[in-house]
Amino acid sequence: MKNILDRNQNKAGEVRNLLVAKKVLMVNLISSPGAGKTTLLERTCEELNKKFRIGIIEGDITTDRDAQRLKKYNIPIVVINTEGGCHLDSHSISKVLDSFDLDDLDVLFVENVGNLICPSQFDLGETFKLAIVSTTEGDDKPGKYPMLFREAKAVLLNKIDLIPYTNFKRETFNSDLKNINGQVPLFEISCTRGNGLKEWIKWISKQILSTSSTEV
Amino acid sequence: MHEIRIAEDLSAIVLETAKREKLSKVTKVNISFGVLVQIVPDIFIFAFSETVRNTIAQDAEVNIEIVSVKMICKKCGNDFGVEENRFVCANCRSTDLEIIHGKELFIKSIEGE
Ligand SMILES: Nc1nc2c(ncn2[C@@H]2O[C@H](COP(=O)(O)OP(=O)(O)OP(=O)(O)O)[C@@H](O)[C@H]2O)c(=O)[nH]1
Ligand SMILES: [Mg+2]
Ligand SMILES: [Zn+2]
Repeated sequence: MKNILDRNQNKAGEVRNLLVAKKVLMVNLISSPGAGKTTLLERTCEELNKKFRIGIIEGDITTDRDAQRLKKYNIPIVVINTEGGCHLDSHSISKVLDSFDLDDLDVLFVENVGNLICPSQFDLGETFKLAIVSTTEGDDKPGKYPMLFREAKAVLLNKIDLIPYTNFKRETFNSDLKNINGQVPLFEISCTRGNGLKEWIKWISKQILSTSSTEV
Repeated sequence: MHEIRIAEDLSAIVLETAKREKLSKVTKVNISFGVLVQIVPDIFIFAFSETVRNTIAQDAEVNIEIVSVKMICKKCGNDFGVEENRFVCANCRSTDLEIIHGKELFIKSIEGE
């Protein structure tokens, strides 16, 4: 039996080996359109720009608007336009890795195209995936998109400032998520108000540090 | 719409294999998809037929087997299926599980003449 996505899988393996050798953590950010990936990157750059060497790959269907928003941090950013494609793949990542000086990088954040199903199927060679959902999308997302929530190393629930204006129920979301993935850490955050960001920054810093201190 | 990309990769493998095996026509492609991959069979079959148009695989019949989720508990060794997306061991309630079925994206066989 042959895996249909073998070609993508093999390339992802190459990317992963390279990043391990260079001690770079690569995070694959997956969410629906508008859940807050770029805003999370803005907040994260503000906090960590001085501490770590950050790079960003922006997956965008046709524009470079998200990359423009991140320019102010003076970090290396490369845009991949998928030209209609609903996800990034390992070949496009592998190509743009040449534009980064991997010896001068601690962490590479990849903002995938906004979509909860397709990006979960395509290994990019990342160290881990991160699932972001926002409260305005409803509390039923984990059960509807089990693959992403199973595979994610952590889940971020964004826009908790908006809970009072929605029918989002924390208990429903939490128990749904527990059923899908009882082990995954959950961060409840508001990227605009700042709630919960401290815990997130602490967690991601730990991940970056543990990658850069591994023996190769 | 990951169906499109997966259909493209499948058709590349099918045509490559047909060439290697010196087939003049591909008649059947048998594949299996795990439930968790969330492929919509109709969309997939449509996307595949588009990508093999005007090739020796254009009349191939695509048989899709959908594989349900099966897990094994890392704590007590129990293996079990998933109902209503509950990834919790039915025996010991542990959530430390390994998915052994449900993520398939496999080509089982390619038939031709
Ligand atoms: N109220 C509120 N709004 C937020 C929060 N985080 C992000 N937003 C807003 O949500 C909108 C979308 O945020 P983005 O960061 O662009 O979302 P994205 O996931 O990058 O979107 P795409 O790249 O288009 O998929 C923007 O208007 C943000 O200001 C939050 O915590 N609370
Ligand atoms: Mg964005
Ligand atoms: Zn068990």
